[in-house]
Amino acid sequence: MFAEFWYKIKNSPLSLLLVVGLLLLIGLVTLYSIAQVQAQTPPNAFSKQMIFLIPATILMIFMTLVSKGLVHKYIYLGYGFIVLAVFIPFFGEKVAGTYRWINLGLPFGLQPSEIAKWVIVITLARYLSDHNLQMNNFASNLVPFAIAILPTFIVLNQPDLGTAFVMMTPVIPMLFWVGARPYHLFLIVAPLFSILAASNEFTFTIWAAILAIVIYMAKPQLWHGVGIYFGNIFLGLIFPLMWNTLRPFQQKRVLTLINPDLDPLGAGYQIIQSKTALGSGGLFGKGWGQGTQTHLKFLPVQESDFIVSVIGEEFGFVMLFIMLVLFSWLIVKIIKLGLNASDRFSGLILIGISTIFMAHIFVNCAMTAGMIPVKGLPLPFVSYGGSFLLSSFMMIGLVLNFGREELD
Amino acid sequence: MLKSANTVSKSKFWFLAGFVIFVHLVLAYRFFQLQVLDHNEYSRRAENNRIRATSIPAPRGLILDRHGEIIVDNYPTYIVSAIGAEIVEKEKNYKVISAATGIDTAILKQNYKNYYRNRFLPTRLAKDLTIGQLSRLEEAKDELTGIVYSQFPERIFNSKIRASHVLGYLKEIDQGMMVDMDEQSDYQYGDLVGWSGLERQYESQLRGEKGVAYYQVDAFGREAGPVEGHDNILPNPGNDIHTTLDVSIQALLENEFNDKKGTAIVSNPRTGGILAYVSAPDYKPDLFTGMISSKDWKTVIADSNRPLLNRVTNGTYPPGSIYKMVVGVELLEKQLVTTDWSVFCTGEYEFYDRTFRCWNENGHGKINLEQAIVQSCDVYFYQAIQNVDINDLAIRSKQFLHGLITAIDLPTEMKGRVPDRQFMNKLHGRYGWSKGAMLNLSIGQGEILVTPLQMVAYTNLLATRGKTYPLHLVQSQNEMIDAPAIRSRTWNRIQDYMELTITQSNGTGRWSNPKIPGLRIGGKTGTAENPHGEPHAWFIAYGEKDDEMITITILIENGGSGGEVAAPIAKRMFQHYYGPKTTKLVSK
Repeated sequence: MFAEFWYKIKNSPLSLLLVVGLLLLIGLVTLYSIAQVQAQTPPNAFSKQMIFLIPATILMIFMTLVSKGLVHKYIYLGYGFIVLAVFIPFFGEKVAGTYRWINLGLPFGLQPSEIAKWVIVITLARYLSDHNLQMNNFASNLVPFAIAILPTFIVLNQPDLGTAFVMMTPVIPMLFWVGARPYHLFLIVAPLFSILAASNEFTFTIWAAILAIVIYMAKPQLWHGVGIYFGNIFLGLIFPLMWNTLRPFQQKRVLTLINPDLDPLGAGYQIIQSKTALGSGGLFGKGWGQGTQTHLKFLPVQESDFIVSVIGEEFGFVMLFIMLVLFSWLIVKIIKLGLNASDRFSGLILIGISTIFMAHIFVNCAMTAGMIPVKGLPLPFVSYGGSFLLSSFMMIGLVLNFGREELD
Repeated sequence: MLKSANTVSKSKFWFLAGFVIFVHLVLAYRFFQLQVLDHNEYSRRAENNRIRATSIPAPRGLILDRHGEIIVDNYPTYIVSAIGAEIVEKEKNYKVISAATGIDTAILKQNYKNYYRNRFLPTRLAKDLTIGQLSRLEEAKDELTGIVYSQFPERIFNSKIRASHVLGYLKEIDQGMMVDMDEQSDYQYGDLVGWSGLERQYESQLRGEKGVAYYQVDAFGREAGPVEGHDNILPNPGNDIHTTLDVSIQALLENEFNDKKGTAIVSNPRTGGILAYVSAPDYKPDLFTGMISSKDWKTVIADSNRPLLNRVTNGTYPPGSIYKMVVGVELLEKQLVTTDWSVFCTGEYEFYDRTFRCWNENGHGKINLEQAIVQSCDVYFYQAIQNVDINDLAIRSKQFLHGLITAIDLPTEMKGRVPDRQFMNKLHGRYGWSKGAMLNLSIGQGEILVTPLQMVAYTNLLATRGKTYPLHLVQSQNEMIDAPAIRSRTWNRIQDYMELTITQSNGTGRWSNPKIPGLRIGGKTGTAENPHGEPHAWFIAYGEKDDEMITITILIENGGSGGEVAAPIAKRMFQHYYGPKTTKLVSK
């Protein structure tokens, strides 16, 4: 048995681990700086992160060794469990204003939504590989969306917009991977754009034109095309009316969920501080432990969501650039493994996981740099956070397992 | 098992890989822009300054009376706050503040705990500072770290009136209250929120929107001017509300109730607007402004006269004889009596083994419906009610707005109760009550309970022959309420009886008549027996002159006879309103 395990590990794409290790190192060095200079005695973010590495590594090895067949067989059951699990926090206490956490009586909480991210990916992979789907058929695209939307919707109500976003993103590249028509993917996201564009006459006019051109170029049946076009326009027109029936404080709540900058004492303040930290770091940074913004405690949640600002302040643009190179190498490598995978199920899992990492990296960095509204999403391997570290390592385990070249 | 072959074209890989690299390049460029291109600008900000954001409170909207006179205004006070991240040696700072302002350090500590949000935001330590206290603090500035001052508008009230039950008061949100306020979570600790009365009802209009002030702060915590690129967001003051109240009438009635318990409401039945609203005893409206001392609070809470109870909306009383018009309408509409049919009142009435008494022990003699209302004879109603079904009476009572909420624009209101057969069976058991209960009901005693506000609505219906509007305190356009479907002749009779009650020399309401030429008054007295001592005195009336109509509804708890105690107050109000010395008061 051990021989078999050894064989499995030896044939896994282990070069990934080097990149993951380097990213971890960047994170730990930064966490150590925060803990050291602010004289936080253990348990602090650094020491806790070190401790979490132990179960994380064990779970990663487990994920590397688990039989692909078993994963394939039981994933629907797992999906059922995870949908229930993301529900459980609603019965518990609110933590920090949300229902994300399950309290098991341990000294830390668990976030089932972290696990849900990759469970959805595997579920989608099984569905898309099992069914020899006619991807030219629009209806075939809808079941995968339904699979992803159910847990997403629950998470959205926790409320955790960032995680909900991450859960939905894998669907599109995975459908693309199995041959869905880009036109169909466009139709699925079109209603969202119709609603968003409706806020302004100018954008709505442009959107209406784009919609018309895309539908015309796809050459659908006349009635389909006309129906889809006017359905979207109607949605855009009716939405402002529905919006106006909400009471002002409800509107404000929805808007703050989408764009926390509307609360200038809260999130807007964080962005000002984050950009100042980054910008003042310059090309080479202020040096390890020298970040004034960091250590005057002006940066909120610096250990997790805003760790990039600390790295940027202390180690400068050079280190952030190295970090981005490592991330892009990691993701492209996973997609490459997906291309070379022996079967479609494995390939799809790899594509899905790469998307989850990509979504985290983009949202976290863009938020820190003030490009998009504040969404609480951590940076893989770098940010402090137990559940997310476990989940990220499990995903790396899955990549090692499903990306392994089958020699037999 | 994993049977589907992985047949994917290389172009898909290149497409996805290209996309990934593109996104990373965008992020890298953005970092480059911030860290290299704009480095100098951010460096300057980071090294010399930090940014502090504080909220600027919005002045609440004013509350005005119907002539535009200000009832509730704002005046500026100062608050002193501490910023957790900047304060060094809290205890020492507290001592300095305490020495300069005379506020106990324990209070400062407690406030810091109550209003703490996070270490970057100012946490309030004390409020309602005078300019004097502030300047002494300013002198001690060198010894303080992370302490900031700001202006804070507080409520101030018109000195002529109290009207505390209408206006309501504000409460400060602390951590304990925040838990209950989940619905409006855009409030923060230390904010004021309308907690009762109009302040609560119109909270969303009155509160306005807070602004934000950004300051640059140097390394020693001193403010160093505004932040470039971050303009202050000015607060948006709340909207004023224009009430239907009239300060002069309110003042007159509050004065009448200085030594009484009860309620008095004056309204315009042609609009439903309330001109005066007294619930006595009350409390000083500024009781809750600033820091209420625990001694004041205990005095108010322990007062057995319950000054915090809004008796107009939340007190329930038997209506007594003012209920007789409801019974009268039922008798006339169902043609259970004719106007000539009469009863001989000896001062008491035998019903099986019980004796029911008339208020007039000597008896009224031979009496018909008209005189039974004018002289408020009980025996007539004991006799006449025996043909009325309890459920019919309940329907009629509700038609005249007894036992229904008036939906006035105040946060709370009691419903009172109108008993029907089901209710009586539930209360007393199926065979536990008899027709005797109806005799009590016929004179507004027994199980029936109403709020004074319901009686205002009832009086307005009677005054306008059903063509009246919902009661309200803030000027608004409303739909007319559903008029009771009653024959015009019945309305004529009921109004005639009410007017005779005032004008006839032995009418029970004669002491309310100011005898002003051209003034038509109709009314009814009531003396409601109750288990808490002396009877409650009721008086309802409407007056009309030159097409201007108002109504008044008075209740004096344990006051005795309505005609003797309550009616004279109405007389003085009518004199004030319609009398020659006053200028034109009603504006359409």
